[in-house]
Amino acid sequence: MKKPYLLTLAVFGLSLAGYLALSQYTLPEGPGKDLVLAKCQTCHDIGFVARESLSRERWDAILSEMVMRGLQVTPEERAVILDYLATYLGTEPSPAPAQIASPKTGAQVYANCQGCHGPQGEGNPPAFPPLKGHVENLLKARGGREYLLLAVLHGLQGEIQISGQKYAGVMPGFAWLSDEELALVLNYLAAWGAPQGFKPFTPDEVEAARAKPLGPEEVLKIRKELPLP
Amino acid sequence: MEKVNRRTTLKLMGMGAALLVTGGRSLAQQAPTADQLVKGKNPKLIVLSQRPIVLETPYDLLASNPERTSKEILYIRNNVDLPGYNTVEGTSLDGWQVEVGGLVDKPFTFEAKELLSLPQHEVTMVLQCSGNGRSLYQPRTSGNPWKRGGVGNVTFRGIRLKDLLSARGVKLGDKAYFITAHASRQGNAPEFVRSVPIQALENALLALSMNGEPLPAVHGGPVRLVFPGYFEVNNVKWVEKIEFTEAENTTAEQMPRYRVPAIPNTHLPFLPQEPGKTYPYGFQNSRPNWLVTLNSFIFAPLEGQTVEGPYVRIEGVAFNDGIVPIVSVEVSTNGGRTWHQAELERKEKSFGWVRWRATVYLRPGEREVMARAWDAAGRSQPIDGNIAWNERGYEYSGVMRVKFTVA
Repeated sequence: MKKPYLLTLAVFGLSLAGYLALSQYTLPEGPGKDLVLAKCQTCHDIGFVARESLSRERWDAILSEMVMRGLQVTPEERAVILDYLATYLGTEPSPAPAQIASPKTGAQVYANCQGCHGPQGEGNPPAFPPLKGHVENLLKARGGREYLLLAVLHGLQGEIQISGQKYAGVMPGFAWLSDEELALVLNYLAAWGAPQGFKPFTPDEVEAARAKPLGPEEVLKIRKELPLP
Repeated sequence: MEKVNRRTTLKLMGMGAALLVTGGRSLAQQAPTADQLVKGKNPKLIVLSQRPIVLETPYDLLASNPERTSKEILYIRNNVDLPGYNTVEGTSLDGWQVEVGGLVDKPFTFEAKELLSLPQHEVTMVLQCSGNGRSLYQPRTSGNPWKRGGVGNVTFRGIRLKDLLSARGVKLGDKAYFITAHASRQGNAPEFVRSVPIQALENALLALSMNGEPLPAVHGGPVRLVFPGYFEVNNVKWVEKIEFTEAENTTAEQMPRYRVPAIPNTHLPFLPQEPGKTYPYGFQNSRPNWLVTLNSFIFAPLEGQTVEGPYVRIEGVAFNDGIVPIVSVEVSTNGGRTWHQAELERKEKSFGWVRWRATVYLRPGEREVMARAWDAAGRSQPIDGNIAWNERGYEYSGVMRVKFTVA
């Protein structure tokens, strides 16, 4: 009796939350969405992309312009991105968003990160530092756990040094992800290595961190004040 | 190094999944307001983009400050965000260096501080994003959906670039046809470069202050290269290099961005592009958004307002590129069939906007008013702004219409 009730409630809550999130901050579900996020968000607020509705021809022209400005995409990726944009952000009403049937896993949320940090968290110097190994060191250092959350939530801009290598990329904040998704991805990173007694990140912790919006430069300032590796 | 074992991993991931199912209550996040993004801005500004920062002035705020647009409400269209510069406070001149080179006999570098010892010059001008009014084009064009609030009237104070050149005894080369300015790239900021025709040197200003206060960091402080009469994109913020060049710069901000279609070698105001289609932008078949297009705005009554009749005061501003004076503003209350002359505040050449007003007789009911400006070069505004449709939605100058109620 109680179980189906809870399940219905959970599904309802999830759809409502999904609807709210979709209508405000992120893109409609569909094949290629994660690739679009990974490729566009470094430079653009995602709302900028999400509110466009243009013909395939004009999206194509915009992609050409972005390539000219330095966007790195393979021809295959470009085709997927164009299909997604023309279908879901085109001039026709977009198809109903695909149902988010099962809860996301940290690995799925990590798709947002791998465009820059690599599928295995290997990094891509000199712009994008490795995560595998480095996150573990961060979590072991004083203030590292809090810093990691802030960097993922609000982004990071400016030069940092990791194991003797300088990194000077720009990381966008991922505040548009839900508290749950952020907790998932942070725990996914921690699963690559974390100190003994590591307490998993919780959505409440993410929610609390949102209370004070920070700029990517302010996160850098916080980083510099901490003894972080 | 203590690794988390597989079981812990699974536990962590499972816990996350469970949290996702039970949570979800805070998925709709609070978007930051303008004052959270840029210190000192009015929180009512409309956030069009958080990265880079793009803020639009709500039209009623613009209209209620018809003399001067203060730094608190002035719109922002940044292509580049310099780390630490998101504030309306000024920023230190110390150590800010600007390089002057290209086709000059003696290239030099000056310190922003040195400018304080040269004669200062002041200009009041319209600062307008070339995408202002973009959302009025049909079908919709790409880019930030500006309504009409991507504009302001501000006073810059600084040193004329030509005065600086002559103080240094610098001569331009014969082929110096363009002024090309580069914004600072500090904090790993992306490249931002714009070129304007050499004629712009006549009024070019190295601005250090705006509206009598230090130039706000977010608006280009400490030094901004300002070209009165030109669209905002040409007024390079945080300038760190000025070159005199034979050709337009070839970076993305000069082509294909910030251009409209044009028939090569003609002086036609614009070549209409078929609405909804793409255009093969090239240096020959398009021109940059340089000179501000003639335009007028109605500041009162505002859309949807109820006003006392039957005599209704219509007010607004008009502006152009400052090359010739605005000679007339007309107001129509019957959809453009007949027009009344409005009274102009002044009829001199001006880079700033000119205020105008008219009193019309209107019976009670739903009414619509239109305004149209003319300048001494015979230029005016299209009744249907869409005839200048271009795929990026630049330079909208269609006649403004306002619907309101007469009580």
